[in-house]
Amino acid sequence: MRDLFRKRRMWKFSSELKKRYDVVIVGGGAHGLATAHYLAKHGVTDVAILEKGYIGSGAAGRNTTILRSNYKTPEGARFYDASVKLYEGLATELDFNLLFSQCGHLTLAHTDRAMFVMANRAEVNRLEGIDSRLIGPDEVQELAPSMYVGSDTTYPIMGALYHPPGGIIRHDAVVWGFARSAWEAGVELHPYTEVTGLRREGDRITGVETAQGTVEAGTILNCTAGWSSLLCDMAGVQLPITTHILQACVTEPVKRFLDVVVVSSQMHVYISQSDRGEFVMGSEIEPWTTYRMQNTLNFLQDLTRHTLELFPQLERARLLRAWAGLCDLSPDYSPILGRTEVENFHVSAGWGTYGFKAAPIVGKTLAELVATGRTPDLIAPFALERFYEDRLVSELAAAAVSH
Amino acid sequence: MTDSARLAPTAGQRIDRSRPLRFSFDGDQVDGFDGDTIVSALYASGRRTFSRSFKYHRRRGELCGCGQCANSLFTVDGHPGVRGCGEPLREGMEVTHQNAWPSLEFDAMRATDLVGGPFTPPGFYYKTFIRPRKLWPVYEKVLRRAAGLGRLVSRQEEREWRTEYRRRHCDVLVVGGGVAGLSAALRAAELGADVVLCDEDSEPGGRLLIEGRHEEARDLAARCREAGVEILSGAPALGFFDELVPVWQGDTLHQVRAARHVAATGSLEQPLIFPDNDLPGVMLATGALRLAALHGVRPGQRCVVAGVDDRALEAALALHRLGVTVSAVADLREGADGEAQAELEAAGIELIRGAMPVRAAGRKALEGVSLACVDAGGRALGTPRKLACDVLAVSGPPAPTSSLLLQSGVRARFEESAGTFLPGEAPPSIEPAGAVAGHERAELARLSGSVAGAAAALSLGFGGQTGRKLMEEERASLGAATETPNRAKPPALATDGASGKAFVDLDEDVTVKDVRHAAAEGYDSIELSKRYTTVTMGPSQGRFSQLAAVRALSEATGADLGEVGMTTARPPWTTVPMGVLAGRPFEPARRSAIHDRHREAGASIRWAGDWRRAYDYGDVEGEVMAVHEAAGLIDVSTLGKFIVRGPDAGELLDRLYPNRMSTLKPGRVRYGVLTSEAGRITDDGTVGCLDEETFYVTTTSSGAGAVEQWFSWWMASWPELDVDLTDVTQGLSAVNLAGPGSREILAGLTEADVSAEAFAYLDAREMEVAGVGCLALRIGFVGELGYELHCPAPQAAALWDAIAAGGARPFGLEPQRILRLQKMHILVGQDTDSEMTPYGANLDFAVKLDKEQDFIGRWALERQAEEAPPQALVGFTCEDGAVPTEGAAVIDAAGKVLGQVTSSRRAPKLGRTIGLAMVDPSLAEEGARITISDAGARLSAAVTRKPFYDPDGELLRS
Repeated sequence: MRDLFRKRRMWKFSSELKKRYDVVIVGGGAHGLATAHYLAKHGVTDVAILEKGYIGSGAAGRNTTILRSNYKTPEGARFYDASVKLYEGLATELDFNLLFSQCGHLTLAHTDRAMFVMANRAEVNRLEGIDSRLIGPDEVQELAPSMYVGSDTTYPIMGALYHPPGGIIRHDAVVWGFARSAWEAGVELHPYTEVTGLRREGDRITGVETAQGTVEAGTILNCTAGWSSLLCDMAGVQLPITTHILQACVTEPVKRFLDVVVVSSQMHVYISQSDRGEFVMGSEIEPWTTYRMQNTLNFLQDLTRHTLELFPQLERARLLRAWAGLCDLSPDYSPILGRTEVENFHVSAGWGTYGFKAAPIVGKTLAELVATGRTPDLIAPFALERFYEDRLVSELAAAAVSH
Repeated sequence: MTDSARLAPTAGQRIDRSRPLRFSFDGDQVDGFDGDTIVSALYASGRRTFSRSFKYHRRRGELCGCGQCANSLFTVDGHPGVRGCGEPLREGMEVTHQNAWPSLEFDAMRATDLVGGPFTPPGFYYKTFIRPRKLWPVYEKVLRRAAGLGRLVSRQEEREWRTEYRRRHCDVLVVGGGVAGLSAALRAAELGADVVLCDEDSEPGGRLLIEGRHEEARDLAARCREAGVEILSGAPALGFFDELVPVWQGDTLHQVRAARHVAATGSLEQPLIFPDNDLPGVMLATGALRLAALHGVRPGQRCVVAGVDDRALEAALALHRLGVTVSAVADLREGADGEAQAELEAAGIELIRGAMPVRAAGRKALEGVSLACVDAGGRALGTPRKLACDVLAVSGPPAPTSSLLLQSGVRARFEESAGTFLPGEAPPSIEPAGAVAGHERAELARLSGSVAGAAAALSLGFGGQTGRKLMEEERASLGAATETPNRAKPPALATDGASGKAFVDLDEDVTVKDVRHAAAEGYDSIELSKRYTTVTMGPSQGRFSQLAAVRALSEATGADLGEVGMTTARPPWTTVPMGVLAGRPFEPARRSAIHDRHREAGASIRWAGDWRRAYDYGDVEGEVMAVHEAAGLIDVSTLGKFIVRGPDAGELLDRLYPNRMSTLKPGRVRYGVLTSEAGRITDDGTVGCLDEETFYVTTTSSGAGAVEQWFSWWMASWPELDVDLTDVTQGLSAVNLAGPGSREILAGLTEADVSAEAFAYLDAREMEVAGVGCLALRIGFVGELGYELHCPAPQAAALWDAIAAGGARPFGLEPQRILRLQKMHILVGQDTDSEMTPYGANLDFAVKLDKEQDFIGRWALERQAEEAPPQALVGFTCEDGAVPTEGAAVIDAAGKVLGQVTSSRRAPKLGRTIGLAMVDPSLAEEGARITISDAGARLSAAVTRKPFYDPDGELLRS
């Protein structure tokens, strides 16, 4: 609060690179910055974050800000639950209001099959101690009075998976809060510093090349999400990842209208209303692989048509802005987190559409890995080796759209 | 005031005074004319405040006059966000204000501006209500209530607005109907191209219309029409999607696919930044001109114009010619244009050189302006001169409307001489023309339009040598005539030093101070500044704030304007109602050729994938028992159906299925499971051999599309195989006749020998049934003696009727699910997940690792064959009669998840609960006890490995 009455510098960006850092984090998004924040708690502060754009310019600033932990696998549910719990305390920890609104999250079911998937998720969630349950159309209507829940629609709502702790947060605030904390602890933030190569000798990375010069690092972390397989290529590490775009859009602000996050997998939409009054809407990952972050007209058409199935009164609400971001999709929709065959090169990748939800727990566990040299149990199931051992953690059957 | 509200009629005016219109504003009756906009009519009625701002609830009035700003967003007939200054007036419109309570004139939320103080810096909400945590949700509710502009109806049952898509292919699409666009369209059309021109305004002409050159504009438009140009008015182009341009016009979304594009999108005059620059009465010079020239509305009794170049002087003269009293014009340049000066003198308009507004004054609306010369930092030099006025028409450096070009991949660069960002080189399919290409003056814009139109047409093969020669000449004269504008650079903020908010962004209530403050905190790049202060993020999408924000940030950080750069241009260019993008409510559903029979029989119809299917006919148990005891009939037309034909058909199937298919004898059928390269089940079905080179492949209903893609993908990868794939899913229908009585029914309908010997289990026969040519497969998904009859879809209803008349009772999807569950026949996607292997699903018999070919998934299956599957599919029974929810978890004593229930039903024939579950392989033993956690309740069940019904398949083979 007292910050209101003074200018408190959030950070000061660095331009000169030192010759060596204990840790170089590639990627100044939510994961990289969170990791720096938690590394500082372990006393590791000789850290540089190299970001090719401005901080939070990638997926951290392009996601639809939805947080939840009602995942299908016990491993996933446990991991994301730990993340939501960290998010709950993060504003206090960072002394920065992240505008986290735990307004509840509804995943609608329009078919028997969807009800079955929701029932399974609810059960797994319950066993993991996560508040998540299957509800009927009446309760759906109570939670979202503005949504049309009649039985005469194309896709009648048979029920929903209701996840009360889910909600929305201000994504930029998460980035800024972590960035300030890291900077105050002594971490160097290097925006507009693109990594152009990694020097590998045997099982170690010996140099990180950038346009501003080459640096050495004790440990290098790849927190580049959509670009993670490109960076891994530089290290000679193969990731089983395909990169796709995910599109989203927002309407002009209107008065308060919807207080929960609504997701319909069958119609490939998810909708929430921000504190500013804008409707934030997204769709599923585009099936083709690309790094070209451009919107398509099909996306706008399909998304609006489906949204209007649920909220016909939005037909006159005006679409203000659309954008696209990159998603690094792993074969089982679970992340690839931790060590690689290169001993001082760790990854946080394969996030698909889930990366933002995991930022604090990724930061905490990766920091622990770097500081102690041990892989925390929570992320052990997400090791890259699982693809060699055929031990997948499949979130795949959960739903086509999974926000 | 209203007496003199309207100017004398002139030819250029758009209003028709013989056609008065009446509408309501906040309940009051207001009069206007046909040709008015909502704002021009309200303005003529004496109103000056049209909205309250987003954050501070300050009064906002006329700004752009062309539907581009967010100063006059109204709710019209219940629809929020309507741009009042662009929206044509209609009789009986119900217009209400937005975002003010209790009224537009008295808004309680204005307190946020007046009390303000520390609660108003940018991002204040990030710094407040952090502790205690519990208070934030309470405060958030308050914030949420305050946010938002318009209000939507709380509930609506269906879409009420009928919108349409129209697809239009043409040679050249010209975006923008100003002089450049019209000239481009005319030239391209004259050379023979099929041309579409779209323009946002309700008539083409652009600036010509307000500069007293309306006749020229109307003449140009008429010539375009004569030349065959399709002109879309009131039709903004929304974006550039890989050369597809959606154009919104009323209820229609035109999707224009053109071979060439001319971007003649013009430029937008920008505001000047000084304290209280948002007072109603401070407007863009073009806004004031539009009021006067198009709507015959007097902007004010006494007008002052302020600008940075000739445009301001021209605007002052144009206003004067229209009968508006202009007392002075402030020109920020030290030395101004000689010709204009004489004209100004003659008109009695004082020219104040080197000065610009440093403050606007007034309570509810503008009452005066302070003008002063300013230093480089924008501080007034000497005592400002105060002039009384009720309109201040400002004309900052114009910003090229480059959004569409930038969306197409063009990069913007800062042009020092123009004082603005100009688009760089465009791709070959796009020709920029007019102001957006830096050709601001009408004569140059016309020339540049002609050149662009010619270039577009010529590149498509129209025109020939003469056309080319003319274009080259025009291009040369355009090059020769191009001049850099004589334009002063306004400071980021001009001020007399006293307090007051100077707005960079009127939509979002962002001030210069906010941008500085944010930069000092570390938000010192344009993107961070935008995200933190929300500058340029409002409904007008930065049209009137982007340049000002860049300037403010440049001043705060010391970086030059080019270094600061612009934010990414994103679609849509104009905010567009979602209903327009959505088009007609249209959700395709697939129905079988027999669908009407099910509806007539009173079946409950539900979605099954893309299909609408009969779920049951009202008596699930009765339908099940009919199949067990007599005969039942189900429509299985939804199955994927493919013909694989060619010398290598068998080879292809051997490579795609883990099973061996090439060894099938003609007239025989085999079950097949499909797997991914990782050996995971993706689909299943049957393969029937019709002759040595022809196979009939069926797939699951929901998997048909994916299988078609999968087969095609691999066929493309194996060009050496001589084989074709034909999808006959839609062309053929299929019914399954099943039950002990089915043979008798079939025999009564066909001449063919259907005895157990002649037509054995897993045989395929072509036969005529009830006069319909069918492919009959003796297979049995439901576990009783049965026949799957595939026939041409148009004859399926006749077949259905004949079989039903023969005594088979129709049964739906739900009875079928019970029947197949008794046999432990899996449903892919229900009993399998993305990780299920054939071994886990007890389909070992369908995997032939001793096959000589390599086949999809082989390496994975070889490995899987050697170890326990990650999950095993087992049957289970619940003795106590409970039917666990499908999706319930299988757990161990500690509550650890070991699997899940995938199917469960009460089987009427067996009189007990049966089910399938995916479990840890350690539990996959006959008789093992498993615990099921179902919505918190614990159920006990016993594992069964053999089918619950007819475990040895005697009935199937009978």
